[in-house]
Amino acid sequence: MTNVISEIKKDFIYNLLIKGERVDGRTFDQYREISIERNVIQKAEGSALVKLGSSQVLVGVKMQPGEPFADSPNRGVIITNAELVPLASPNFEPGPPNEVGIELARVVDRGVRESKALDLEALCIVPGKQVWIVFIDVHILDDCGNILDAASLGAIAALLCTKVPASRFGLGEDYILPIRDIPIATTAIEFSDVLMFDPSVDEEAIANTKLTVITTASGNICGMQKSGTGMLKPEQAYRIIDIACEKAREIREKFLEA
Amino acid sequence: MDRKVVVPGDLLSEDAKRSGEGTYIKDGSVYSLLYGLANYRDKINVIPLAGKYVPAPGDNVIGVVKDITFSNWIVDMNSPYDGLLHISEFPKRIESDEMTKHLRIGSSIMTQVKDVDPTMKVELTLNDRKLGLIKTGRVIEISHTRVPRLIGKGGSMISMLKKEVNCNIFVGQNGRIWISGGADDTDLALKTIALIDKEAHTNGLTDRIVDFLKTEKGARS
Amino acid sequence: MITMDKTDISFFKDGLRLDGRRADELRPVKIEVGILERADGSCYIEMGGNKVIAAVYGPREVHPRHLQDVTRAIVRYRYNMASFSVEERKRPGPDRRSYELSKVSREALEPVILTSFFPRSVIDVFVEVLQADAGTRTAGINAAAVALADAGIPMKSMISSCAAGKVADTIVLDPMKEEDNFGQADLPIAMTPNGNITLMQMDGGLSPAEFHEAVEMAMRGAKDIYELQRKALVDKYSQLAGEPEKVEVHACD
Repeated sequence: MTNVISEIKKDFIYNLLIKGERVDGRTFDQYREISIERNVIQKAEGSALVKLGSSQVLVGVKMQPGEPFADSPNRGVIITNAELVPLASPNFEPGPPNEVGIELARVVDRGVRESKALDLEALCIVPGKQVWIVFIDVHILDDCGNILDAASLGAIAALLCTKVPASRFGLGEDYILPIRDIPIATTAIEFSDVLMFDPSVDEEAIANTKLTVITTASGNICGMQKSGTGMLKPEQAYRIIDIACEKAREIREKFLEA
Repeated sequence: MDRKVVVPGDLLSEDAKRSGEGTYIKDGSVYSLLYGLANYRDKINVIPLAGKYVPAPGDNVIGVVKDITFSNWIVDMNSPYDGLLHISEFPKRIESDEMTKHLRIGSSIMTQVKDVDPTMKVELTLNDRKLGLIKTGRVIEISHTRVPRLIGKGGSMISMLKKEVNCNIFVGQNGRIWISGGADDTDLALKTIALIDKEAHTNGLTDRIVDFLKTEKGARS
Repeated sequence: MITMDKTDISFFKDGLRLDGRRADELRPVKIEVGILERADGSCYIEMGGNKVIAAVYGPREVHPRHLQDVTRAIVRYRYNMASFSVEERKRPGPDRRSYELSKVSREALEPVILTSFFPRSVIDVFVEVLQADAGTRTAGINAAAVALADAGIPMKSMISSCAAGKVADTIVLDPMKEEDNFGQADLPIAMTPNGNITLMQMDGGLSPAEFHEAVEMAMRGAKDIYELQRKALVDKYSQLAGEPEKVEVHACD
């Protein structure tokens, strides 16, 4: 159900892009206004509503004891899912996640997992028998572009305010889930050799190439994803990574204040 | 009071003769069908804030070609209904395999609604000199509910605007507007249209727009 | 997990319910109109601990085409619960309950929508429960009605929804979680402001007299909610207009 974008609109965006300008007046590496509200869903163990420009993403964290995976008997389990529900965009259809939704969930998961933000061994209750299962559920509410970065922000923001519900299961007192890192995803599109961070809906529609870089607090890269049918030169990737680290640091600082 | 915010089902009048647009009659009384502003004149009309454009014969619209069949371009009009532009309604005689050469997917056109049948099959035409392919300029979108205000009574607002900003402007009833002119002139036109869009439902708008244009043009020179 | 037996709870203390309400009192309601940009119309509602968003897309083209009706718009309603909306995490996706709720909710709204104005199109209503606290279907319908108005869909009237229940042999308005889980009956309704019922479901046990009382109470609750829906819509317009409008509350006959 995707709408055709008119050539005249494409031309307009393009003509601005090659001058280094964007339709909404931002610079190429400028993020739209971000707001993060934590603990919006009290029934969840942790939650965050992220607004990135007009995009809105709600992430809920639920925890319950369960069986560990056979190949990691002493480690907790992280399960990340994303629902691109039809109310968020005329292009989302009801039904189980399609490849776009699954990709989004897996990239968000990658950030949390590979940054080691969660100490999975500390989530072991009874070795080999019982561990904490951490469900990270991303619920897209309004897709106005770059919901991946918003989802990733939402995931770590929700985790940061998560309380382990030990008392509900007779496993002691509730405690704050310890988080060891703050992974931040930053996404840029490439279009006619121009790079644009935090793409809007229209910018996403005309771009062929997207690169998401997830960085940790120490400035290391813990996850990446190139998507789209275009091609990237290594130099473009290096440029994106440099700016991504800087952007992530800015967002992380704003976060720690928030 | 002559204007009031109403919601669907609000009682507007006990005189059925006053039923205007956006209203319905039940048991001799007039009720609102819409969420919007009720205008109390001889007839009571309810102007909605939002809603989809429904094509009517004679409407000028700006469409975007979204598909091409053997003898029709299928045109998106930002409406629940697509328009069909038959090959015979193109101003030149062309063959079926030449269609995409003249209008391809993504092309924007200034077109007119020729006919709408009861099943909402919409036929478009390009057979008029002021209609055709858009090659230059800007196309913007406002809510179609604002278009009457932008045009004004008897076209007064839009003619005033065209003159003052020195641009070509084609207003589609579906809320899409084409503007063509110098860069500064186009910017001024866009700003003015945005202002009209924002304040469409207020009183004294025409005077405020005249003042706005005077101020902006004065600031430029 | 700690299990509760209905005999363990005393639902009333000094004439007040577990959350301090009187028998005929609604939980606090908050309504926000037009909170989504992509959707044609939207509404966020809180009713007690329920947090629900409704969005409307349409009228728009029907896909797949064969579902089209040449004479009118079809109406689709999809009720969905977020995984984190309930205490025990819910697997994503529809289940039998959400299919049923979707159907009766659609049937609650369709009678007032002027579908004949838009042949061969669809009006899609999507309701997402972000947090559940007994009464999600009524919250969903209330939000959906506001979202439909916000989208400019022509309707003969608004629709408002409220439930009544029976706990400890007493009829109560807008049951909360414990009353819903361990009470004796639950009766959600939806209606037009002048009392035409478009949704009615009941489970539990009620004598005809109790049913009477419960319906009357639920209808009074729905009427109160209608005033709140109306106020939210009118206030929103005034906000856009920038002028504080004097609100005259008009019941439609």
